[in-house]
Amino acid sequence: MKKPKDLKPDTLSLHAGQKPDEETGARATPIYQTSSFVFKDSETAAGIFNIERTGHVYSRITNPTNSVLEERISALEGGVGAIATSSGQAALFLAITTLMDSGSHILASNCLYGGSHNLLEYTLRRFDIETSFIDFRDIEQFKKSFKKNTRLVFGETLGNPGLDVMNIPVISTIAHENKVPLLIDSTFTTPYLMKPFNLGADLIVHSATKFLSGHGVVIGGLLVDSGNFDWESSKKFPQLTEPYEGFHNMIFTQEFGPAAFISKARKEGARDFGACMSPHTAFLVLQGMETLNLRMKRHVENTNKIVKFLDEHPLVSKVVYPRLSSHEDYDLAKKILKKGCGAVFTFELKGQKIAGQTFIENLNIFSHLANVGDAKSLVIHPASTTHHRMDKQALAKAGISEGTIRLSVGLEDSQDLIEDLEIGLSAVQKLTK
Amino acid sequence: MKNKVFSFSGEKGLKNIKKPIVFIHGTGMDHTVWTLPTRYFLRKDRTVISVDLPGHGRSKGPVLNSISEISYWLIDYLDSLDVNEFSIVGHSMGSLIALETSAIVPNRSLHLVMVGTAFPMNVSKTLLEAAKNNEQAAIDILTYFGYSYSARIGSNSNPGMWMTENTKRLLEKSHKDVIYNDLKACSNYSDGLLSAKKVEGKVMIILGENDFLTPPYKAKDLIGSFKNPIVKNVRHSGHTLLIEKPNEILDYLIEIL
Repeated sequence: MKKPKDLKPDTLSLHAGQKPDEETGARATPIYQTSSFVFKDSETAAGIFNIERTGHVYSRITNPTNSVLEERISALEGGVGAIATSSGQAALFLAITTLMDSGSHILASNCLYGGSHNLLEYTLRRFDIETSFIDFRDIEQFKKSFKKNTRLVFGETLGNPGLDVMNIPVISTIAHENKVPLLIDSTFTTPYLMKPFNLGADLIVHSATKFLSGHGVVIGGLLVDSGNFDWESSKKFPQLTEPYEGFHNMIFTQEFGPAAFISKARKEGARDFGACMSPHTAFLVLQGMETLNLRMKRHVENTNKIVKFLDEHPLVSKVVYPRLSSHEDYDLAKKILKKGCGAVFTFELKGQKIAGQTFIENLNIFSHLANVGDAKSLVIHPASTTHHRMDKQALAKAGISEGTIRLSVGLEDSQDLIEDLEIGLSAVQKLTK
Repeated sequence: MKNKVFSFSGEKGLKNIKKPIVFIHGTGMDHTVWTLPTRYFLRKDRTVISVDLPGHGRSKGPVLNSISEISYWLIDYLDSLDVNEFSIVGHSMGSLIALETSAIVPNRSLHLVMVGTAFPMNVSKTLLEAAKNNEQAAIDILTYFGYSYSARIGSNSNPGMWMTENTKRLLEKSHKDVIYNDLKACSNYSDGLLSAKKVEGKVMIILGENDFLTPPYKAKDLIGSFKNPIVKNVRHSGHTLLIEKPNEILDYLIEIL
């Protein structure tokens, strides 16, 4: 008997979810730029609405271009299914609202992307969904933080911007002991660097805006379901295990088994909140994902060279990157991020805030903007931009100071990038004279 | 018995049962593989009994060891629900159970539909050995050979769902030794041709053109043993027809049931 040989990631990145169009022979994924789809007949229409037949109804809920993207990310992550959303924030919101009611509680990492922090700390609180922010390195504290109403544990593979490496095997084990799923934001690592489901995570969100699309031209998000979490034995998720009035008393776990979560997220969340991805965006994300593995390899190679350069520079007081032995998670990163620690990192310049501003303003190839994961190299000052709503205490907890600078290293020639950084550093040097 | 067995029957439940359609899943699976067609027949006001076999899904064990044993168990279960006449649909191992059940009570089985079937349903030693040791390899083999080559690339008609991982997850959720017991039951079943001759109801056999686990040519003798069976060959489908070609399968079920 032949041994099973699953398709490799390089092949899946190019093909998963799509075959040449049967009507036209188009090799690339067509952009189905349509709001709705004509039914063959009334009976077929009734069948698709009743989920007894497969097919598309309305692009807020499903669209053939988006479906290719959803299958592709599922294939690369090892999930049962996915939903493409209008942004990474929309994907996070969809995950949370599929599982939460008012009165629910979330345990989240204290080093999150500022936008996620805002959602959890301020916006969801208005709807009586409370979040406790925890240092996930403090395992004993984490264990003590579960409450009766805790429904979700949430963190990022690499915390933003201190690059705290999330110990997914340990955190997921504790979450599961408490009958709670682990949701991971895997934006910084992508399936090329880490597969969180293989380490124990249950759900993944991506900002597809970043490395997945990779060219800074779209805003999009993805929510992926591993199909692993046992919603029934948890007994904490009546949304999935009890009759849902919003769909003829369907019990999602009973009818969809391992795909209960992602089915509910689509049947309710995509339908009611409507934060869908446009088919054109899905096409652009797919174009990016075709070269994901090639790009990520280069991103990491360039980053390693730049990290080394900065780490040895006399004007730099600190570089925060888990591949450096000075990083608190160096050993963990070696274990679970074998291909590298991504292309986003921070460093601190010696001197005051003015040093950081001078440095950024003198760069020519690095672009000063609020994004990461572009093919082009990017730079930002987190304290005054992405994390400006956080007070000093919260900033310190997240490992940010006034002198912190964040780089997102692109695909340019690494020597050109280093020379650009040298120009910025020379300008800083002049300040001290 | 009723308390130990889970059957999906929709909101209507198992009240006022009239000539139900009984759905039987395959190796290591549960009733969820039939969700789409069961929803159709429920909408059409038909009674549906989509059963989790003993030790599978939500039904309590123990797992039964032979196709014959499971078939007698199923008849007992239907008796406990006061079901007399029924139609029966089975996939893979479930198709053998449906056949044997129809042969044991030929006057009660009005329709028999066998999806993804063969006789004999031999199972390779490598697969049996892996299943015996409850190895992931057994799940990988069943999933890999359970799909056509093209389905491994995806392009699912069910939007956004990755077919092979769904199957793996369902198999991974099966209890210890269930996959081995099921495979052994398929492999040891020897009464197929004799049983086929006893069936009195209408018969439909649905085969996947690219099925590696139960290739269409291995159903030839079985087909020849029925009186006037309807045979449907599903293009571009492997063994997991219910996921690869759900709309075609539903159309065929509507045609006969």
